[in-house]
Amino acid sequence: MRVPSTPRSGKVGINMTPMIDVVFQLIIFFLVSSHLTKQEVQLKLPLPTAESGQPGVEENVPRLTVNVLSDGTLTLAGRRIAAADLQLRLRDRLKDAGPGLQVRIRGDREVAYQFVEPIMLACARVGIWDVSFAVYRPEDVR
Amino acid sequence: MRRPSPYIDRRGDLDIMMTPMIDVVFLLLVFFVWTTSFQIVERVLPSKLTAVSGTSPADPNEAPPPEEDFDRVVVRLLWQDGQPAWQVNDAFVPDLRRTRKRLEDIARITRNAPVILHPDPNVPLGHVIDLYDITRLVGFTKIQFAASEKI
Repeated sequence: MRVPSTPRSGKVGINMTPMIDVVFQLIIFFLVSSHLTKQEVQLKLPLPTAESGQPGVEENVPRLTVNVLSDGTLTLAGRRIAAADLQLRLRDRLKDAGPGLQVRIRGDREVAYQFVEPIMLACARVGIWDVSFAVYRPEDVR
Repeated sequence: MRRPSPYIDRRGDLDIMMTPMIDVVFLLLVFFVWTTSFQIVERVLPSKLTAVSGTSPADPNEAPPPEEDFDRVVVRLLWQDGQPAWQVNDAFVPDLRRTRKRLEDIARITRNAPVILHPDPNVPLGHVIDLYDITRLVGFTKIQFAASEKI
């Protein structure tokens, strides 16, 4: 049998198309999954509307978000919490984060004020003075 | 020898490769559809709590400075028969528009007066925020929420 002495040139190029496809798929997977993770953090709530609402500045400040559902249930960091335990949790977080801790109240617009009031009172009692409400602009919900 | 005519295109097949193009177009489509956020952008309504009687901050040194002693404007938000009702300094106001007008009149005299919002426990948060919003829009800077001690 005759064996070719020299390697035959040509036809050894890498096919780039499937590689680009796979790379694109991976990029999109990671982008989309990180985007969805971010969305999951925020519980969907029909927030109240306010004209004087300011854009939420994403500074590097310690912040705690308390959600108030329509039935008055409080959730903190994705878990239900009793109003009686809130003060303790806030105090613990304040110890870790320092006096600059902000509390953001995301409350359903139909929830009675009696479920929101304990949050503000707990904040005042532990010494958190920077409390804000999450709202929508009226024109965004029309 | 016969030479090829320069007017005849002999470069071979010029078919466009559709498959990779469709792949890329689909990927771009999926990317933009999935990353488009349909969520409404949230905004923030800041409030500064102040120490009220009966609350005991963890560290007294961390308490905010006491408010200056101006006349108070107390706005009550009542809930009567499933409807909101407003009271500015003990005077009933029929609706939110006139409450705003009343607050504007007071703000013309003094914007530094502390405004105390006192909603009934049954009032939906949306109405409380509406009241808080118009108080801010009118120009008052010291807005406080009353809290009952039995909580």
